[in-house]
Amino acid sequence: MSDDRRTELKKIIMDTKTLPTLPGVIDKLNAVSSDNRTSIQEMARIVSADQVLSARILRLANSPSYGFYRVSTISNAMILLGVNVVKSLALSSSIFEIMEKNSVGLWEHSLGTATAAGVIARKLSIPEVEEITTAGLLHDIGKVIIGLKCAEQARTIRTLVKEKGLSSSEAEQEVLDTDHTEVGGWLAKSWYLPEKLVEPISNHHNVVASEGHQIKTSVVHLADVLTKASGFGNSGDPFVPDIQSVAWDALQLDEKQLHEIVIEFEDKLVEVKNFSLELQGNNAAKA
Amino acid sequence: MQKIPLNLAAPEMILARDVFRSESPAGIPVCGKGTVLNENLIYRLKQMSIQSIYVEGHPVTFEGEASLEEQLQDLEKRFSKTLDNRRNLLLLDIYRQQIRCAMGEQGE
Repeated sequence: MSDDRRTELKKIIMDTKTLPTLPGVIDKLNAVSSDNRTSIQEMARIVSADQVLSARILRLANSPSYGFYRVSTISNAMILLGVNVVKSLALSSSIFEIMEKNSVGLWEHSLGTATAAGVIARKLSIPEVEEITTAGLLHDIGKVIIGLKCAEQARTIRTLVKEKGLSSSEAEQEVLDTDHTEVGGWLAKSWYLPEKLVEPISNHHNVVASEGHQIKTSVVHLADVLTKASGFGNSGDPFVPDIQSVAWDALQLDEKQLHEIVIEFEDKLVEVKNFSLELQGNNAAKA
Repeated sequence: MQKIPLNLAAPEMILARDVFRSESPAGIPVCGKGTVLNENLIYRLKQMSIQSIYVEGHPVTFEGEASLEEQLQDLEKRFSKTLDNRRNLLLLDIYRQQIRCAMGEQGE
């Protein structure tokens, strides 16, 4: 029976007619960037054709979570950040357009997690910091989709969290027989995102299930924990999840490093808070 | 120790960290930790487009900012489900120190 409910839900959630789609520019970028004869300028031209997206990429490239400052052109952003980063920025900024409108708390939680993921990856000298940051930004995308597609159940989930003190995942399981990590995984796969993004999205609450990219998943898991510990944003429930031993071991963490990571993360959060306030201010001005 | 935007800096505040010209902490500090601020110095820092500084104690109260006790209470509540995990206990302790330090209770 419960499997039926899950299958039914998957059908509703993955109904392509109402599923948020990615802008065509990302498809184009994917197509040309796999050809190594394409120049940065050509790719920059594709991105620049979409002015809203360009603005958002520059904003994100200049935001504290990426740590670069004063990047003023798309081709500079591409040279500085790398093509893959701009691609993931394009991707995350369009997803966040959906998210920002729907839930400021969740957007802040995601921005916080992205920041924490970047701090952890840099501190531990883990490669592909930008991809890890993007994975942090996207890790709770399943919650956005549940909110969009199952508004009524999402209300029940919120009530359960509030009244019974459940975690979001527990409440989601009770109402939907699945949770935001699985839903996020379905969505990420339907968008053909790379495995290094799919795994942290699908497994950030169960790191042991991550087979190909366990280190990245561990970083996102810990980043999620830190963001909840700091109390920044609102991911649906206030509770700090367990730090999983698999993740702790995979990152070979010790107390001193964790302390340094927290200090650096909290420093950056001050700027992230301002960035988020500024965005909200802009949105309010537009409305 | 508190991080404040430069436009809230006031004379008599004491720098808790070196101030650098750009956001990246590589390079020569323009003003050292322990310096007592005055109007002239604040003006010069503004000229260098410094955005924010770290000062000792907790001189600026932002609107809606929770007190130290409230912040610590909220912290304990957030950790209430995972107190049986020793790594979480470690993190809880780090955060207790972090909050005390940010509210100017003790030095770093």
